[in-house]
Amino acid sequence: MQRKENETPQGQAASVLVEFLEVAITAVVFLKGVYPSGFLLPSLDSPSSMPFLFFFFFFLLLLLLLLLLLLLLLLLFDVGKGAFERRRYMNVVVQRARHPQLRYYIHATVSGLLPFLQKGMVDRVAVVFFNTDNVPLEKFIFKLTVNQSYGSSVEGVDLQISLRSFLAKLSVSESLTKKLPPDCRWEITGNFQLLPETGTSKEANFWIPTDTKQWEQPLFITPIRSMSSDPLCLQFYIEHPSLSESSVL
Amino acid sequence: MDSRLSNSSSSTHHSNSKKRKKNATANNANQKTLGVAWSSKSLSASSCSSRKSPFSDFSSYMAHKSCKLQNQFDSEASASAARNTIFSGVSIFVDGFTVPSSQELRGYMLKYGGRFENYFSRHCVTHIICSNLPDSKVKNIRAFSAGLPVVKPTWILDSIAANRLLSWVPYQLEQVASNQPKLSAFFTLKSSKMSEDTSTNALCQVEPDVEDSFPRVGQLKERHPSEAGEMVEVCRQISNESNDISSKKTDVFMMEEPISERVICDEEKLAEANSSETNNERNTEGELDPTYQEPSTSVSIPCSDNQNVHQFPSSEATGSSKQCHSTLTDPNFVENYFKNSRLHFIGTWRQRYRKRFPTLSTGLNNGISNSNKSDINSVILHVDMDCFFVSVVIRDKPALLDKPVAVCHSNNSKGTSEISSANYPARSYGIRAGMFVRDAKALCPHLVTFPYNFEAYEEAVSCDEAFLDFTDAMVEDPELLASSIRKEIYETTRCTASAGIGGNMLMARIATRTAKPNGQCYITPERVDDHLNQLPVDALPGIGYVLQEKLKKQCVHTCGQLRMISKNSLQKEYGMKTGEMLWKYSRGIDYRSVGIIQECKSIGADVNWGVRFRDMKDCEHFLINLCKEVSLRLQCCGVQGRTFTLKIKKRRKDADEPAKFMGCGDCENLSHSVTIPLATENVEILQRIVKQLLGCFYIDVKEIRGIGLHVSRLENADTSKQEKYTLKSWLTSGSASVKKQKYHMGHNKHNSDCANCASSHGCIHSQGSSFQIDNKILNIHVSGDPISTPPPLCQLDVEVIRNLPSEVFSELNEIYGGKLIDFIAKGKGKCESSSSLGNSLEDDAICKEEDLPYSDPIPLNQIFSENKAMQHERVLGSGHGSCSQVTHNSNIERDDLLPSSLSQIDASVLQQIPEDLKAVILEHLPAHRAQAFCSTPAICPGRINQDSVGVDTSKNCPGTVNHALNDSLRAGNLPSWMDKFKDSSCLRKLREIYHRSGFNSQLSSVLPQFLSEFHHLDLTQEIYDETVNIMCELLKQYVKVKIERDIEEIYICFRLLKRFAVKSQFFSRVYNDIFPFLQAAVDDNYGGSLFMP
Repeated sequence: MQRKENETPQGQAASVLVEFLEVAITAVVFLKGVYPSGFLLPSLDSPSSMPFLFFFFFFLLLLLLLLLLLLLLLLLFDVGKGAFERRRYMNVVVQRARHPQLRYYIHATVSGLLPFLQKGMVDRVAVVFFNTDNVPLEKFIFKLTVNQSYGSSVEGVDLQISLRSFLAKLSVSESLTKKLPPDCRWEITGNFQLLPETGTSKEANFWIPTDTKQWEQPLFITPIRSMSSDPLCLQFYIEHPSLSESSVL
Repeated sequence: MDSRLSNSSSSTHHSNSKKRKKNATANNANQKTLGVAWSSKSLSASSCSSRKSPFSDFSSYMAHKSCKLQNQFDSEASASAARNTIFSGVSIFVDGFTVPSSQELRGYMLKYGGRFENYFSRHCVTHIICSNLPDSKVKNIRAFSAGLPVVKPTWILDSIAANRLLSWVPYQLEQVASNQPKLSAFFTLKSSKMSEDTSTNALCQVEPDVEDSFPRVGQLKERHPSEAGEMVEVCRQISNESNDISSKKTDVFMMEEPISERVICDEEKLAEANSSETNNERNTEGELDPTYQEPSTSVSIPCSDNQNVHQFPSSEATGSSKQCHSTLTDPNFVENYFKNSRLHFIGTWRQRYRKRFPTLSTGLNNGISNSNKSDINSVILHVDMDCFFVSVVIRDKPALLDKPVAVCHSNNSKGTSEISSANYPARSYGIRAGMFVRDAKALCPHLVTFPYNFEAYEEAVSCDEAFLDFTDAMVEDPELLASSIRKEIYETTRCTASAGIGGNMLMARIATRTAKPNGQCYITPERVDDHLNQLPVDALPGIGYVLQEKLKKQCVHTCGQLRMISKNSLQKEYGMKTGEMLWKYSRGIDYRSVGIIQECKSIGADVNWGVRFRDMKDCEHFLINLCKEVSLRLQCCGVQGRTFTLKIKKRRKDADEPAKFMGCGDCENLSHSVTIPLATENVEILQRIVKQLLGCFYIDVKEIRGIGLHVSRLENADTSKQEKYTLKSWLTSGSASVKKQKYHMGHNKHNSDCANCASSHGCIHSQGSSFQIDNKILNIHVSGDPISTPPPLCQLDVEVIRNLPSEVFSELNEIYGGKLIDFIAKGKGKCESSSSLGNSLEDDAICKEEDLPYSDPIPLNQIFSENKAMQHERVLGSGHGSCSQVTHNSNIERDDLLPSSLSQIDASVLQQIPEDLKAVILEHLPAHRAQAFCSTPAICPGRINQDSVGVDTSKNCPGTVNHALNDSLRAGNLPSWMDKFKDSSCLRKLREIYHRSGFNSQLSSVLPQFLSEFHHLDLTQEIYDETVNIMCELLKQYVKVKIERDIEEIYICFRLLKRFAVKSQFFSRVYNDIFPFLQAAVDDNYGGSLFMP
């Protein structure tokens, strides 16, 4: 929370936004259930996990022998935890990826956006889910506008409270989304207003142009949450392919 | 592992493991209740089997857990190397959602040496942190908090920012804090003694504001009626040194200084008259026992739970005193407040006194000062009563003569009441005015304190200081005279006085100082230098604490040292005026001469103590009372004012609870003022002005710690009163210069002769608005000097006269003695033909607006303004029969006459205004709108009127409406276009709902309500193309405004609309019409269409 005083309001907003995006993208991925979320138990914070283990063990005992049980226990311990663990961000319960690679992917991608966010070059950040044919099925889009001319300072707390509502809304928006087929994959894409010239900066090199198939048909938009304030204006909506296409699939 | 096995063996069911999992999940979702929930379910299971488990039962589990958490915390704290220990000894428990979050708070506690408890326990937790509490917890706060303070998280943040542990008291949760003794509770519970005690702290300043700390004093000679030929010089001085409560002899002092005994007799008579007057007023019938008389009985409250025995026999005034006493509950708080204030007594005394000497004041007004200020031989006598307040109190108690005695509001030794006056024995203990009683008691335990005895003060001498200039009196020995005066005073009042004689007022005052107590001193011009050399600087009038400290820094302690410094460097250091004052005073130079009464420049009232508001209502109520008080004062002084200033003390963000009970503490001072063209003392006008002013502050009323209302640019009411609400004054004023009077459709335009009053205002004449009506009335009565006669009949414009409203006409007719009717009759034939187009338009308009409460004659006419001299920029526009005049001036002072919302400005007019001007108007409008909403009733008629005009427009030419819509939407937001709904009842309904909802400019919040009320309306008649079109237009505009930044809002609106469309034909039409447009707009912006399920 401690930020440098000399940052521009855009810079402040961008750093809050990056934090938020990291959490929000994780939340989207969790929501879509791309990764196992623990079929037995949701993940637990360490201090409070003890009671559950008891239940868990009753169940196991009557199914298996003692040695088998020990083996299975170890196995299930891993699986049961799922890919995410509960954390708190801005006082909302959110999920955090347990797997370091997944966590790193999200973190690195979003952090890589930071310089561009500050400059206001990023138009939208999308979390795209593809089927096995690399056809996008669903896109979660964060459309951003960072007002470059905004002068006064940003109240970080206010911004956070606004962003918090996104997370709250997202957690109850499952019904708006479509069920994904198995074996889908996902990625984070950023739409830039103008392409950063490769080679000019180190950050720009991280970004590669995507060549995913786009929808031919008109798409449908389902807004989830909008926030318009200065200097940051953020809209969060889902894009689906039109119904005809989805019926084909 | 064994333990686990045994656990599982005790399980009753395993088939419904799924269900159990659900339970577990639920538990998990709410971690806080986890332990409890689990224990209740599985206690039986675990308790029997847990022999070997680390936890024998739930409580031991919890104990273990909190122990572990504590260890975790400790290790983290030691890891973070807590160098800072602001919060050492503080242990917080965070309850519920907070900003910053509990995790952050935990981090702070880690960092700054505090403790953080995850689970509440009475033993370890010292503070509960939360931002909000449910009602149930508030109701049973003790059960919830176990008596621990419930504090807002900002306490921690602020403490960290201040780098010290701040008092948590100001940060108490409001919901809880409201249980704390507020003023109301305080007054009902505590004894009257106590309440008085608190009142002592009242800081109020009521005296006429005198800008210089020392007024110019002129000289005046008055022929006393009873002693023809003998010159009596009445010398007055009003010294208004500062508003500081602690300065003892702050305010107005006066004494009659007679030359002969005859005059003293007169004075006595007057005093008698005074007291009888007092008696009449107060029905005290002379039973004024100074000791037991309680002057401030109006404060002593016969409370509802009458637990307080009256400690003092109450005077009759008590009977009339009010039930309770606070800004919150006492309807007469303001009144009681001032009844009980010493400074108010002193401050208003002069006003009262002047009224009693009407001849004197007229003499003063006409007095030609033959000022002899440069006269070297002038002799000024200064007489000052010795510790006046005390001496009056103890004059009937000879036993107390040598005892330390002080006067204050209360003799409660614990109280924070301030001592207002102490006698000399008391002063020898180091007791000073302005001290807290408890401090004084510490210095002198046997100090006797008395409450004020205002009536006795009036009866005795009324006030305690006077200057006399007897330069011309050819008195041989001024000392002899002084002693005779003192003797006289003592005999009359049984109070001692001191006198000082000097070459000017300054020296006389300094002389008195050395003469005290009960002595006299004459500083001859030769001795001035010697005397001053040794004088400490703070003895000079006008040098207060701050200035003294500054001087001390320069090692200036005595006047002698001060004299070493050159005038220039003094002025550089302390500013022109102060520097010069210092320079002069240190040399004993004082050119002020005795006598001229300072005309007060402003009158007002401040209440800076005990002001706490819960909500806007409280505040408004209080302001109404304040207005009454101020209005009374204005009437009392016989003046009216034009400029109104509202001062507000706002609690500083980081201010602690003030040391003084219910005091104002550390405050920001804010003020706003407004000037109106015609002086007034009318309560209602005042109230309205004040309401507007309050609106300007945009302040949370809970933050207000003090309010003051001041009226300045005073004018004598006598002249204006006679002329009030008559045209005569206007007609007659300066008619020589105004050859041709402009009447246009009953609206009077003023030429530059009223520039003095309207020098700086901008206004928009919005048709029929009550503002404007006021304005007109005011304008009419603006008058310069009401001396000359009305202009001759022949100069009047017949046509104008004929078109005057009937009341105005009859009044004019009266002025001309009935000749006007004939005159009109004669002229009628002539001007028949010249009846203007505007006239017919006017008739037209009136027909249309028959149902409106205000059928102002002007709305549909072009208005010509002659006020070029006033640099008014004005815009004339006419669009489709309606026209409004927008007059604007860069001076914001007058922007209260702007219309209450954008809707009152004709859009077509606005269009024609130059861009920069338009920008300024628009900029001013929103600010104004907010405050106007407070007084909506006053504006409503105007708005309706305007709307009806708008209807005509819109019906006649929809194109214009669209255009107007465009314009207003660009310019503002919802309010502006909401006002376009007026031609059908259903849409008007929408608008009403919108207005009710509080103008939050979100359509989605208005629509559901609309639907619920929609069915009450008869829709079949309502659906015609026009309505649908307008609704569509509205939605289109809304989409355009919102699509880019707030697609969610659009989405919600249209989903609502779709839902309505099922139920209502009207909305289905609207929806069908607008939907393609919406999708196109979304496609443009987002490259897709909105998904409507």
